[in-house]
Amino acid sequence: MQDERVLVYRGCIIPLDLLYDVERDVWVRLEGEQARLGMTDPAQTRAGKLVAIRFKRPGTVVERGRALATIESGKWVGPFPAPFRCEIIETNQSGFERDILLANRDPYGEGWLLLVRPLAPEQLADLLPGEEAFQRYRQRIDELGLTCFRCAE
Amino acid sequence: MRIRVVDLGLVSPVRSQTVYHAVGYAFRSDTPPTILLVSTTDPYVSIGYHQDAEREVDLEYCRNAGLPVIRREVGGGAVYLDHNQVFTQWIFPRELVPSRVEDRFAWYVRPLVETYRQWGIEATWRPINDIHVRGRKIGGTGAASIGDAEILVGSLMLDFDTKQMARVLKVASEKMRDKVFQSLEEYMTTMRRELGTMPDRDQVVHTYLEQCSAALGAELEFGELTPEEEAVAAELDARFASEEWLYQKGGLRESGIKIHADVRLHEAALKVPGGLIRVIVRTHGGRIDDVSLSGDFTLLPALGLAAIEQAVRGLSTRREELAARIREVYRALGLQSPGVTAEDFASAIAQAVELAT
Repeated sequence: MQDERVLVYRGCIIPLDLLYDVERDVWVRLEGEQARLGMTDPAQTRAGKLVAIRFKRPGTVVERGRALATIESGKWVGPFPAPFRCEIIETNQSGFERDILLANRDPYGEGWLLLVRPLAPEQLADLLPGEEAFQRYRQRIDELGLTCFRCAE
Repeated sequence: MRIRVVDLGLVSPVRSQTVYHAVGYAFRSDTPPTILLVSTTDPYVSIGYHQDAEREVDLEYCRNAGLPVIRREVGGGAVYLDHNQVFTQWIFPRELVPSRVEDRFAWYVRPLVETYRQWGIEATWRPINDIHVRGRKIGGTGAASIGDAEILVGSLMLDFDTKQMARVLKVASEKMRDKVFQSLEEYMTTMRRELGTMPDRDQVVHTYLEQCSAALGAELEFGELTPEEEAVAAELDARFASEEWLYQKGGLRESGIKIHADVRLHEAALKVPGGLIRVIVRTHGGRIDDVSLSGDFTLLPALGLAAIEQAVRGLSTRREELAARIREVYRALGLQSPGVTAEDFASAIAQAVELAT
């Protein structure tokens, strides 16, 4: 049974059924041999409204910490980093073509960024499950003085 | 806190961009927070990281005019730069920089705004990343996360060549180019324009550094680049000058040419049974500020076109609202346009604004 609850701290939503790389602000949903990745609610809040995104091509192998995509908001450009070594299977190019604010509107749903194949199983062990990630996020959100909101609205 | 300040004076076009990337890529735990000041010896065009060079810039013109076109790893749009701007580039460790992008710009922009104010120019921060003087933009700013560093870039806008800026952009018609130029004239300003005279670079820089020191509560120390930073810059000079770097495909981006935070120019063409409708739309705060319609269709009486252009000013860009207003003009003036309807004009305008580039 998936835990469908979400925890909320200062407006920041952390669904419990996902895994997190809190440092890199990436959520991970394991789907069999593959993993779906996206920006967390704190990540989309910090970035603000996206104005551009460029994905690396499917088939590309990306090391942990390196960019799977680059995102731009308010003239800031930054990486969407890989939480583990992986190969890109699919990107959400078509979703963002329809609506560049997809990750701002629905960071854990339609706003997913990439589907990848994990290539370093040992690095998956470093991801934190929902409850634990939430505790870490609380601390981090306090440190950053962050309050989450949907930047698209 | 101690901050290293490196005033590089005038450097080559490519180096004026690569130098801050280099300090970012070479950033280590013992690298001090750094402020670089630099101007370019010769004019060039800088394009945003996610832009498509061929789509945004008149590359043939630039080639013939000897203007380099250089992609930066910072966001935003294409801009014509010359020796009349002093680039103010901050390369800071992540923990010293506000974590929300918007807060980061507010923090970075403050000494720029204060510098202009010291010079008697009523500058204010216009979120997210513009500086305005009574509704006119006096320069934008950009940012990037590179390596272990957070980078913020902007400029002290001594002067700006709006004519060349409008010339280097790729646009579908000369009419659009005129609109870009007019809009830049109307919505941009510079120190020279505000003061009526060209300020002295060194004096402006002096004011700026005082303001940086005050805003950051930091001691500034003049320094130089390390040999490692120089080496990375030299490597990047080659990469940034390569065709592979320039011609990489753009990402998905919102549409239109951004004049400033509130003002964008859009253009589109719509084929309908009665001919081709060409439209140039300027939006201000999301509403229509100016529209120019043309094409090979027939509209009688001919003055109807100007009446439509006039009637849609101030409206939102919603198709239904536009169509309703244009239908009113049709009725009031008894307009006739075989194969072209009021809805078609509304669609052309709405499409220009929506068009994803």
